[in-house]
Amino acid sequence: MSPALLRIENLKKHFPVRLGAFGEKAATVYALDDASFDILEGETLSLVGESGCGKSTTGFAILNLHRPTAGRVIYKGENIAVFDEARMRPIRRDLQIVFQDPYSTLNPRMTIGEAVGEPILFHKLCSKAELPGRIERLLADVGLPGRFAQRYPHELSGGQRQRVALARALACEPKFIVCDEAISALDVSIQAQIINLLLDLQEKYGLTYLFIAHDLAVVRHISDRVGVMYLGRLAELGTREQVFADPLHPYTKALMSAVPEADPAGERTRQRQILEGDVPSPLDPPSGCRFHTRCPIAMEKCRSSVPEWRDTGAGHFVACHAVP
Amino acid sequence: MSSAPLLAVADDPPVSLWRDAWGRLIRNRLAVAGLVMVLVLAFAAAFGPMLTPYDFLSQNLDARNAGPSLVHLFGTDDLGRDVFSRVLYGTRTAFVVAIVVTALAVTIGVTLGATAGFFGGLFDRIIMWFTDMTMSVPNLLLVVVINASLKAPLSQWMETQYLATLNPFFRETIWIDFLLVFGSMALIAWPPYARLVRAQVLSIRSRPYITAARALGLTNRIILTRYVVPNAIGPLIVSVSAGLGTAMVLESAFSFLGVGVNPPTPSWGNMISDGLRVWQHYPHLLAVPAIVLGLATVAFSFLGDGLNDALNPRGSK
Ligand SMILES: Nc1ncnc2c1ncn2[C@@H]1O[C@H](COP(=O)(O)OP(=O)(O)OP(=O)(O)O)[C@@H](O)[C@H]1O
Ligand code: SF4
Ligand SMILES: [Mg+2]
Repeated sequence: MSPALLRIENLKKHFPVRLGAFGEKAATVYALDDASFDILEGETLSLVGESGCGKSTTGFAILNLHRPTAGRVIYKGENIAVFDEARMRPIRRDLQIVFQDPYSTLNPRMTIGEAVGEPILFHKLCSKAELPGRIERLLADVGLPGRFAQRYPHELSGGQRQRVALARALACEPKFIVCDEAISALDVSIQAQIINLLLDLQEKYGLTYLFIAHDLAVVRHISDRVGVMYLGRLAELGTREQVFADPLHPYTKALMSAVPEADPAGERTRQRQILEGDVPSPLDPPSGCRFHTRCPIAMEKCRSSVPEWRDTGAGHFVACHAVP
Repeated sequence: MSSAPLLAVADDPPVSLWRDAWGRLIRNRLAVAGLVMVLVLAFAAAFGPMLTPYDFLSQNLDARNAGPSLVHLFGTDDLGRDVFSRVLYGTRTAFVVAIVVTALAVTIGVTLGATAGFFGGLFDRIIMWFTDMTMSVPNLLLVVVINASLKAPLSQWMETQYLATLNPFFRETIWIDFLLVFGSMALIAWPPYARLVRAQVLSIRSRPYITAARALGLTNRIILTRYVVPNAIGPLIVSVSAGLGTAMVLESAFSFLGVGVNPPTPSWGNMISDGLRVWQHYPHLLAVPAIVLGLATVAFSFLGDGLNDALNPRGSK
C-alpha cells in the first residue's frame, strides 16, 4: 500500500448560522464531524453520500478553504488545518480543486490563456518568455487546441470550460486534486470524456484525487477506495471491492442496493432496499448514531452512543454498533 | 477520445465581454441616439463658448428680448445677451457640475460600499447605517440648509480675503457657488452608489470563481483588482451614466430655487428660472434652456438604458 499523502484526523467543520426572520436565533450546522482517514499517494478516493451530507465541506476543510472547526490535516508532517493564508500559499500549489459548475468557476473577464497563465506567474513556475509555450502544453494536456488561449469562457461549452478549470489546476503542478462533482453538471457523453481525461492525467502526473460524486456507477469505475458519508459523518470506508461487494454499514447496504448490477444474473436477484423517512437536519442531528432514525436494524444503544470509527481488518473502516 | 466538441468554437476573432457589450450597444438605436446627443452636448460644453460670436455676458440694450433670428440664433434675453451663447455656456456649467459631482459621489460611494461589502461585519453595519441616514434626509432640505448656513459666511470670508490680498481670485464668488453646489450635490448623490457597489461586491464575493482564485493561493489584492472590480463595474457604469443626467437636472432645480449656480454665470436652471418670469411675452427665453435640459436628460437616460441592456444581456429580456 502507498504511503499517505494526507492524513485527516478527527476533522470537524461546524457553520454558525442565524435563523429566524430577523436572524435572532443562533444555531450550528454540524456539516462535518470527526472524520479520520488517510488519502494515499496516487490513489483515487471517492466520497459518496446524499446531497448535503458534507462531502464538499470535507474537501473544502482539507484544503483550508473552510477553516476547520477542529481536527488536523497532516501534509508533509505539518498540520495545515491551522495555517493562515500566507502559510497556506505555497501549499495551495500542491493541493488543488476543480468545482462542479464550469459556468461559474472561471472569471468571465479573463481569457483562457490568462486564466491558465495566472497561477504559473503567481507561483513563479516559469519565466514570462516560456509562458505561452507552457500554456499551450497545459491546454494540450487537457485536450484543447492552443488557439483557445485567446478565447473567453463564455465562448466555450461546459465540457471545454471544465477542461480549462482542470488545466488551471494542473498549471500549479499539484500532487492532489479535489474533484468536487467535477463532472456532475455535464452531459453524460462529455462526462465519460472528462473521466478518461482525469484518469490519463493521473497516470501521466502521478496525481492523487479526492473524487466527490453522486453517481455510484462512475465511482465504481474510477475509484481505488470509497468513503460513504451520512449527515456529516463517515459511515464506512474501504477499497472499492470492500465497499461495493461487501458493504458492512446498513446505510451503505441501502445505497448499494440502488446501483444496477452489470451482471444480469445479479441484476435479477438484486433486492432494492428503500430507506424510510427523510435525512434529518444537520442543524439538529440525531443523538448516538446519526443514522438510527432510519436504520432498519437500529438497537437501543444506537440512540445514545456514537458508534466508534474503527478498522474491521484489511483497511475496511466502519462506524456501526451492529458490525462485529 | 473524440475531439468533436472542440470544433464547436469557430475561428472568428475572440470576443471579450466588453467588446461584446459594445457591439450590443451600437446595435441599439436609442442608445446610439443618446450617445450621439451626449457627445454633441459634451462638444458644446468643451468648445461651444469659444465658437460663439458673442460673449455670454455682453449686453446689448438695443436688442433686448429679441426673438430668434439669424443674428441671434435663439434670440436675446432681457439684457440683450445672446441666448445661444448663454445656453452653450450653461451646457459647460451643467457638464462641469455633473462630472465633478458624480466623480465625488462615485469616489465616496465606491470606497464605502466596497469596504462594507468586502469586509462585512461591523464595518458593514456602520457604513450602511450612515448611508441609510443620509438617504433619509430630504435632498432639497439638505441643500437649502447647507446653502443658507454656509453661503453668507463664506462670501464674507472671500470678501475679507480680497480686501486683504487684492487677489482677484477672491472676488469671483462663483467659486463659492461651485463649492457649495458640488459639495451638497455629492452629499446627496453618493448613497445609491455605495449601496450598489456593496450589493455587487457581496454577490461577487460568493461566486465560485472567487473560491477558485483563493484555492490557487492568489492574494486578496489580486482577487479584488482582477476578479471583483472588473465584474462589479458594469452596473456602476450604467448607474454613472444615469447619475450624470440626474445631476444636471438637480443642478437646474437648485439654480431654479436660487441655491445653485448664481447669475450672471449662465446655467440652464437659472435661465429657466429667469425665462419663467416672462414666458408669456418671450416664450423663447423659457423654451430654449428647458428644451436643452430635456434633451440632455433624455440623452443620458437612453444611453444609460442602452448600457444596461448591453452590459447585462440576460437581464434585458
Ligand atoms: N457556508 C455555509 N454556511 C452554512 N451552512 C453550510 C455552508 N456550507 C455548507 N453548509 C451546510 O453544510 C451541510 C453540508 O454541505 P455540503 O455542501 O458539504 O454537502 P454536500 O455533501 O457537498 O452536498 P451536495 O451533494 O449537495 O453538494 C449542508 O447542510 C449545507 O447546507
Ligand atoms: S449504529 Fe445502529 S443505527 Fe447506526 S447504522 Fe449501526 S445499527 Fe444502524
Ligand atoms: Mg457539494
